[in-house]
Amino acid sequence: MADLTPLFHPNSVAIVGASNKPDKIGNVIVRNVIDCGFSGKIYPINPKEPKIAGLPCYPSLVEVPDKIDLAIITVPAKACLDVMEDCGKTNIKHVIVITAGFKEVGPEGLELEKKLLFICKKYGIRMVGPNCVGIMDTHTPLNATFAVGFPLQGDIAFISQSGAMLVSIMDWSKTIGLGFSRVFSLGNKADLNEADFINAIADDPLSKVILCYIEDVHNGKHFLEVVSKAARKKPVIILKSGTSQAGAQAASSHTGALAGSDLAYETAFTQAGIVRARTMTELFDLATCFSYQPLPKGDRVAIVTNAGGPGIVASDTIENTGLSMARFEKETLDALRAYLPTEANIYNPVDVIGDAKADRYSFALEAVLKDPYVDSVVVMVCPTAVTDPEAIAEEVIRLHQKYPEKPILTSYIGGVSLAKGAQRLSQAKIPVFTFPEPAIQAIAGMVNYTRRIDSGAEGEAIRFDDVDRNKVKAIFYDVIRDRRSVLLGSEAAAVAEAYKISAAPVRLATSPDEAVNLSLEMGYPVVLKVASPKIMHKTDVGGVKIGLNNEQEVRDAFIEIMENVQRYLPNVIPYGIEISKMMPKGTELIVGMTRDMQFGPLIAFGLGGIYVNLLKDVSFRLARGITHGEIAAMIAETKAATLLRGYRGDKPADMLSIIDMVARAAQLILDFEEISEMDINPVFAYPDGYSALDIKITIEI
Amino acid sequence: MKNLYIMGSAGSGKTAMAVGLALKFKQEGLKVAYFKPVSQGYEDATLMKELLNMSAPLEVISPTTASPFYLSRGNRSAEILATIKNAYEEVSRGVDIVIIDSAIFPHIMGTLGLDAPSLALELKAQALYLINIKNDYSLDQSIFFNQYIQNKGVPLLGNIFTHVPRPIQAKIEGVYKPLLDEMGFRTLGIIPRVRELSNPSVAQVYELLGGELLTGEANLDLLVEDIMVGAMTIESALGHMRRANNKMFITGGDRADMALAALETSTSCIILTGGLYPDVKVISRAVEKGVPVILVHFDTYHAIERLSELSGRITASHKESIQKALENVERYCDWQSIISSLA
Repeated sequence: MADLTPLFHPNSVAIVGASNKPDKIGNVIVRNVIDCGFSGKIYPINPKEPKIAGLPCYPSLVEVPDKIDLAIITVPAKACLDVMEDCGKTNIKHVIVITAGFKEVGPEGLELEKKLLFICKKYGIRMVGPNCVGIMDTHTPLNATFAVGFPLQGDIAFISQSGAMLVSIMDWSKTIGLGFSRVFSLGNKADLNEADFINAIADDPLSKVILCYIEDVHNGKHFLEVVSKAARKKPVIILKSGTSQAGAQAASSHTGALAGSDLAYETAFTQAGIVRARTMTELFDLATCFSYQPLPKGDRVAIVTNAGGPGIVASDTIENTGLSMARFEKETLDALRAYLPTEANIYNPVDVIGDAKADRYSFALEAVLKDPYVDSVVVMVCPTAVTDPEAIAEEVIRLHQKYPEKPILTSYIGGVSLAKGAQRLSQAKIPVFTFPEPAIQAIAGMVNYTRRIDSGAEGEAIRFDDVDRNKVKAIFYDVIRDRRSVLLGSEAAAVAEAYKISAAPVRLATSPDEAVNLSLEMGYPVVLKVASPKIMHKTDVGGVKIGLNNEQEVRDAFIEIMENVQRYLPNVIPYGIEISKMMPKGTELIVGMTRDMQFGPLIAFGLGGIYVNLLKDVSFRLARGITHGEIAAMIAETKAATLLRGYRGDKPADMLSIIDMVARAAQLILDFEEISEMDINPVFAYPDGYSALDIKITIEI
Repeated sequence: MKNLYIMGSAGSGKTAMAVGLALKFKQEGLKVAYFKPVSQGYEDATLMKELLNMSAPLEVISPTTASPFYLSRGNRSAEILATIKNAYEEVSRGVDIVIIDSAIFPHIMGTLGLDAPSLALELKAQALYLINIKNDYSLDQSIFFNQYIQNKGVPLLGNIFTHVPRPIQAKIEGVYKPLLDEMGFRTLGIIPRVRELSNPSVAQVYELLGGELLTGEANLDLLVEDIMVGAMTIESALGHMRRANNKMFITGGDRADMALAALETSTSCIILTGGLYPDVKVISRAVEKGVPVILVHFDTYHAIERLSELSGRITASHKESIQKALENVERYCDWQSIISSLA
């Protein structure tokens, strides 16, 4: 991937479209570059001005005598092409296009953007934007944006697809003393996108946390590869908007990209080790905690409080967010018992009670910090007549310096009387919240990140050599020749068979006589199902008859199904009726797959049968790179796993064979990109093996 | 001189059959003319005039029209019949076979006694009835027409099944054909469905619906094989979209998410209803994908209702479909019997 260093550390910057008029963006940027203390050379470009902001101005890039590392373009959209050509001719390799009026305004804009990108490719130029606010680096320092002001120096890198959000956050961050290392506005992402920037920041020693606000991902596969690597180096926290129905609608009309499903984002983010924030508040709470505090080693949280009620609320939150309440070792309890008043609670949550002053807080906090069974601490303070919030803050700061490896978060529950103490904590980089819940949620985010990074990538990706790809190709060829997207049940069963997925045999009959003959061949009892690519839910249209035991029943069922389908769907002409052997009942499972627009095949496992949509006991993984271990974990996440282990005296099911089936299904969809959806429902799991009863496969023509 | 009257319901492929038979007869060295006594426009006449190099003007090849309000002009039965007969004289001069094409349904102008079987009797033509089979009721209807034609005293050559979907082929061979045989009706062909002949083009959709073409002028010849209405949530819609190939996708102009999703799947055109202009991003993407987008000012229900009149149509410029029409006659019809029966 390209080296983007000159973007952040240029020796010289040119601003094309620089202006002397204070209300012009071209003027704001020149002033921002100067005011941030940029130490390199600055070249304003404008053919009509001799000087801008005291600097000599050049009529065009070509006239500048020195080498330029970074060009910032603010001229109107139509003029950008010529300027970009000039960049190419003068060997400028990094360009920020602030100008709007490209893809976001319609087909003409899109055409213009394509031309702009074409010029970039021709000269090997890397471009930020167009239609963006620009970029900042507080360490260089460089402010190549038209934002108001420059953020404090810090170790948070922030990437935003929304320019407005970026500008607002920069303004807000100063009120709480939050500092940034690098800040990027993505704009239209014509060339450089979120993955490029995440990759660039992953190796930046001055950035501790990567923070993103995105509306869509440019290329799902590439994004996952980059972020999975980056997340192992430092936390990547992402707020992805457009998760709701209404939000997705707004996002797609805002960015012009079809959002991949939120489920796919969720699965992909989890697998890549991304910490996902759900709200803007959470995004910055997490950023603060990741930036200020070390990562906890485990999920055991201790609470030190001076009031019982808030302590209980915090305990509830700890359990509800999947963390656990630390259980202290005997030495800790003995020490607490010896020092704290008798009415205090020495067990977690430790209640130092209302009359506690800084010394008692200090003793209790140090005791729990020393305890090896504690991974993180939340200190809670409620204002009473004797509480000294500032002295307590000083003690917390002192103890954090003494025990820097354990995160401490604080909740100062109050207002005016606690404000100074809270401010002191914030200055010393101890996260301080008013209420305990966000503190605990932030700990949960940190714990989940650690877990995911530690557990990631064990085992080999699945690979089967005993599958018959040519047979599947031949079946697909016939289906495509028939101009269909949906395989008939008999075809899908044959595909499964080629991949050694044990499916109940299915045959197609076009007349009642044929149905009877096939039933005799298979042996009663049999199941009859309507065969039509147009019917998604066969049961709903009376298209399924089970447990048929003789010729007459099969004959009647054939005609009845045809009549039912004709009644419900008069325009659908079935291909015939599928006959399959009635299998003995087992634990009903579903294995599904849908190809997400962004992240590729997504595999699902859960409780099967007709209640799938109601019970929603399903877990998901991206198929790409899946391991047998991941599949086992995926199964374990569902309630179906409890049934499979043998619920209430039932015999346990053959788990290894089920894992094998899921792996083979994953292999199938990875091998054949044309499969857009697959549904194996139900699968009957038995104590020895399993049987796939109904398989639906949709392919793209 | 022989006259062959092709009858059948709307969408049964009468014009395609006329094209195929006419070209086949020509290949066999016969002089062929085309005549459409009652029509709703000159499209078919234009096509056949060009195909057969006919010298007669369009208003002679297709002398009268019958709009759905033709009776408001009063009973002009005798006058119309005279016009038809005069035109027929001119068209049939010096040819061996006249292929006569019926109006969109055989019963049109029945009130004036000018329905297709009555005209066949007047013009001394033999009838060929096309069956577009959907289910058993379609066969009932065909037998009803067969018997009516015969009772009128018009010689019936037989039936041809057209646009036959593959799943029904077996049933025609095994059930329908034997039943027709038993009743003395000959099956002269079973023609499988061919997309070039049975599916309308986007141009036809545009012509039928009107509205504004927002993009895709260059791709109006794309064929529409399926129709889908997008009114569900986007997540459930995608499953449906992936199942429908070369579809016409109908949705509200404000559903950018739907339109964008459709553009990611196999789509021939997008109809945006309610007169709501879409987001520019939708147009951008459609331009990239080359998919026509048509904006109409009525609602989705209304659009669907209008589209029910839609069926495939052959034009002279569409060489592929003309070739297919001839191929269908050669491969799937007993054209030799048709010629010998006429003789």
